[in-house]
Amino acid sequence: MKNSTDRRLFLNWIGWGILAGSALSFFPSLVWAKTAFDYALEGQGLIASKEYRKACKALQKAIHLDPTSDWAYGLLGRAYYGLGEKAKAVEAFRKAVRLNPADTYSRMMIEIITQKPVPRLEKKERPLAPLEQEAKAEEEAMLNRVRSTGSLTYQVNRIVIDAGHGGFDPGAVGPTGLKEKDVTLDLAWRLQRRLSDIGKIKSFLTRTQDYYIPLSDRTVIANQHQADLFISIHINANNNPKAHGSETYYCSEKASSKEAARVAAFENSVLKYDKPFKKKLGYIDIEEILFRFEQRMYWNESGRFARTFQKRFRTALPLKDRGVHSANFFVLRRAKMPSILLEIGFISNSDDEARLKRGKFREKIVDAVVKGLS
Amino acid sequence: MILRFLATVTLIPLLCFASPKFAKALDVNDLIFRGADYHYKGDLDHAIKQFREAVRIEPENEYAHNQLGILYAKKGRFKEAFLEFQKVVEIDHQNTYALLWLGILYLRENDLKRAFDKFQEIVRIDPNNADAYYFLGTIYNFRHNPAKAIEYLKKARDADSDEPDTHYRLARAFHNLDMTSNALLEYQKTLELKPNYTKAINGIGWIYYNQGRIDMAIKEWKKTLAINPRDRDAIFNLTKAYNDLAWKALREKDIKRAVFYWKETLAINPKNKAALYYLKRYKSR
Ligand SMILES: [Zn+2]
Repeated sequence: MKNSTDRRLFLNWIGWGILAGSALSFFPSLVWAKTAFDYALEGQGLIASKEYRKACKALQKAIHLDPTSDWAYGLLGRAYYGLGEKAKAVEAFRKAVRLNPADTYSRMMIEIITQKPVPRLEKKERPLAPLEQEAKAEEEAMLNRVRSTGSLTYQVNRIVIDAGHGGFDPGAVGPTGLKEKDVTLDLAWRLQRRLSDIGKIKSFLTRTQDYYIPLSDRTVIANQHQADLFISIHINANNNPKAHGSETYYCSEKASSKEAARVAAFENSVLKYDKPFKKKLGYIDIEEILFRFEQRMYWNESGRFARTFQKRFRTALPLKDRGVHSANFFVLRRAKMPSILLEIGFISNSDDEARLKRGKFREKIVDAVVKGLS
Repeated sequence: MILRFLATVTLIPLLCFASPKFAKALDVNDLIFRGADYHYKGDLDHAIKQFREAVRIEPENEYAHNQLGILYAKKGRFKEAFLEFQKVVEIDHQNTYALLWLGILYLRENDLKRAFDKFQEIVRIDPNNADAYYFLGTIYNFRHNPAKAIEYLKKARDADSDEPDTHYRLARAFHNLDMTSNALLEYQKTLELKPNYTKAINGIGWIYYNQGRIDMAIKEWKKTLAINPRDRDAIFNLTKAYNDLAWKALREKDIKRAVFYWKETLAINPKNKAALYYLKRYKSR
């Protein structure tokens, strides 16, 4: 009886099933070649009379003849459960549910059994495929190299350094013509060289020359390299030529000031790719909980990094401390790591501009950033 | 995740569920069946009613309390959910299901430390608990501690190899350590279990891209777009790939090829500022 409606109708007549099952076990020779259905029915009867071991045998025969029978799998689960073999029971119930997601009983049994520890089933070893062999060798080599503690501190081993602006976008320009894009690129290079000398942190640049990259491409590069931190380097500017000092931005749920909110709103207006997240009622999406947890955690870490960097700037650079600011930057929101944006000095201020021209001052900035990373 | 797989559901026939305690237990079992049935049908309010009645008759029924916990969580009543799971743990500390949900609710509250402790408690009780290993590994992934993430996610994978999310997160951890063979293998296993897992396809794209196999990377990201034309990651990855190719062509003074790639960029992302600008500048030449 392959027809599932027929089978369900039949299932409603459990009494019938037991009767037929016991009839079959009494007179097995009455029957021509037994079908999967016959064996399953026999199994059902044996379960009813608590002969679980025999039931297992009959049901395995049923499954052998018809591996798509969710009914037989469900019964097999019950038989194993009767024997106290929880792991096997769960395995059988899972197969039943996979074959028929509407099998309430099997689902419920999985839920009930797996509330508590279930012993593990032995796994069959099988030969490794070529990629698996390669992977195994790679893993052995790596595990000898990487020593990790169980510490929950956020780890930074690879960073992406983003030199702001570039190409047709010069960024801000100083009173004597110094361009933000040139200073940021030089700082990025210097920082990378320094980090490579120290050797602990791997770094990647979003651009290595004078060309324009859209903001979206820059965060993509951070994802490309699976970076642990994204540092975007900028030089500030203001209509007021007296404005000076350094400040650090990061992404957060709430803007720290009206000005920060305005900056974020401007950035956000460009991108309209994702539909806003719609809350599904009556459903718990665990991956969504994890996603949100991850996001908030990166924002918190970004804030922590921003404060650390700003503190280093305050103590190491002759620049006024303009503090840490945050806002909801949409582009940074989906970055898979903490990200901060440094505004080091005002190119529009002639004192700051003069400093920024000097290689020695640039090295000082690099010093401060490196200290912020350690 | 086994859990999520159980959290969505439908109905169908109910069979008998034997219990040694007769009259009283029969009522409770009946209520539980009906509760589960309503729950699977999506009728949360009626399900809650059944399970509440069940715990009124049998206050120590762990399954009913756990179900109430899930149902309250689904209704957004997280405080009540928390109390139900807490109750189960008071009845029996070995109930790892309730412990797991307590951990998840702590994660929801952003409480990393408490969540982490709960998951660790579970693996101490049950060294085969794939779900707890999954969360522990995932937390280490979030802390960008790939070596530890690998350690736990491998245990999750070995305890239950059928979860695409486990393979995907394991792939991410390997990828973060530049262990590309392992990353590729786990991305592939993710896709064997769930062929439209676009994040895994995008990850494979980056492995190829960073190996200099740009054409293969582009193919992967286009696969993603065939599944979801609005996949933000694939759009931006392709945009970056084409812009890079254009920039390389320009440096080699092959303007015709550069123009070709900028056009490709715009075909995928019409607002890309770089391609718009450079195309305008070089198209006429
Ligand atoms: Zn700037």
